[in-house]
Amino acid sequence: MRDHDQSPRLKTQGRHFAAAGAIAAAGLLALAPAARAENQIPTAPAPAAGGETTAAAVYDPIEGFNRGAFKVGMGLDKVIFGPIAHGYMAITPKVVRNGVGNAVDNLGEPNTIMNHVLQGKPKRAIRSTTRFIVNSTVGVLGLFDVAAKMRLPARNADFGQTFGVWGAGPGAYLYVPGMGPLNVRDGVGRALDFVTDPVSLYVGGLSTDFGKARTGVTIVDLRAATDPAFRALDDAADPYVTTRSAYSQYRDAIVRDATGKAEDLPDFDAPPPSPAPAAPKP
Amino acid sequence: MTLAGSLMKNTLITRRGANAALLAFFGAAGFAAATPALAQARDPGAEAFVQTKAQRVITVLANKGMSDAQKKQVFHQAVDELADVPRITNFVLGKYARTITPDQRARFTPVFRTYAENVYQSRIDDYRGEQLKVTGSVVRKPGDVIVNTTISGGQITSPLPVSWRVLGSGQTWKVVDVQFKGIWLAITQQQDFVSTIDNAGGNIDVLINQLQKSGSGSSGRR
Repeated sequence: MRDHDQSPRLKTQGRHFAAAGAIAAAGLLALAPAARAENQIPTAPAPAAGGETTAAAVYDPIEGFNRGAFKVGMGLDKVIFGPIAHGYMAITPKVVRNGVGNAVDNLGEPNTIMNHVLQGKPKRAIRSTTRFIVNSTVGVLGLFDVAAKMRLPARNADFGQTFGVWGAGPGAYLYVPGMGPLNVRDGVGRALDFVTDPVSLYVGGLSTDFGKARTGVTIVDLRAATDPAFRALDDAADPYVTTRSAYSQYRDAIVRDATGKAEDLPDFDAPPPSPAPAAPKP
Repeated sequence: MTLAGSLMKNTLITRRGANAALLAFFGAAGFAAATPALAQARDPGAEAFVQTKAQRVITVLANKGMSDAQKKQVFHQAVDELADVPRITNFVLGKYARTITPDQRARFTPVFRTYAENVYQSRIDDYRGEQLKVTGSVVRKPGDVIVNTTISGGQITSPLPVSWRVLGSGQTWKVVDVQFKGIWLAITQQQDFVSTIDNAGGNIDVLINQLQKSGSGSSGRR
């Protein structure tokens, strides 16, 4: 996705981080099959009734800590990010915000291309490359998504997704104030997205004015784009769990988009309130 | 000429490669199909149902000539045609659907209905699309179908994929869940509710009271 560049410290420690990331990633991959197996309920004969859904079982061993972090994060959003985003939305027409969003996405395209390659998807990599070239030129530095109108719609990819394609499970759920919901896989992925981002490396990272401006705009754009989700949280009975569930399903869907695997869903009528037939046959 | 020659050769190789890949793919697909029977089949009845009924809901909410109160009323009726409300009401209670008392159920049912209508009306309103187009469907098992659609027009800049889980058969179907950006609404709702009851020490009344408050809050905010 297009949310990279959060902590300035990451930049200076880039190389160390990449190494640590690679080690963590390897560890994650090693653990992945076990984590998957743990979630899977062996229902051999039933077709597509795997029982395992990310939605149903999010691994959250440090829920107490995460809930505290979530409170801090939502507090920060209330006093800083939310008001900035709402101010931005109030003073700009939607056309402008769409343009800014397109430009932010366009700068993320090289990272997407890299990940399509790592996932062994040359067709998607070529499409994204074409998108990047067309949108950076004809699309005026990415402000207009001309490529989408040429039937080359955006197809984002990131390291978290790549690890998922390679078989890594999401691992433990984490909430980091200022970064939002994460899990181990996607947190490591995001750190790698950050340190290997081609645009930061070749055009300018956080030490440059370009990098600073890009980071600022990216954060504001992301917050504005996710505003409906924040509003939806106001209606939740338990906003922490709603965020955790929605994020996990969202990331799971992104991995499935790359693997093409079918989604495992819970049976709708289990658990029955009274002896009702498991298979809906009206 | 050499360039053209090598290009042609490349094309041939690519084509041969593609054929091999296709064979491998279908081989794999055939193998895969042997285990989960019926997966990947489409259901035209379920698709037609979603096309008609979901389009109706979207048309109502996109109608600029209708007042909010009118919309609310039409939405209320349209929900009954589109969704299996009793089934969803039961599903969102998760494990507590087994332990809820008849009295609690009698109170929870209307409260949840009001809450859900307010919440979903504002959710759909956030996007204000106009046209719904069915793009396909997947039969999970007989009577349990995912219908994939895209919603476009109105305020939506690029077509928004939305999936509908429908249960039923033949011409009689009802929506039980809606997925959007990978997120199933009823599944998320279930987690939200179950956690709220868990944290209240299993007391379902706490959830009912909370929904009563936030349901009215949500409609006031609109």
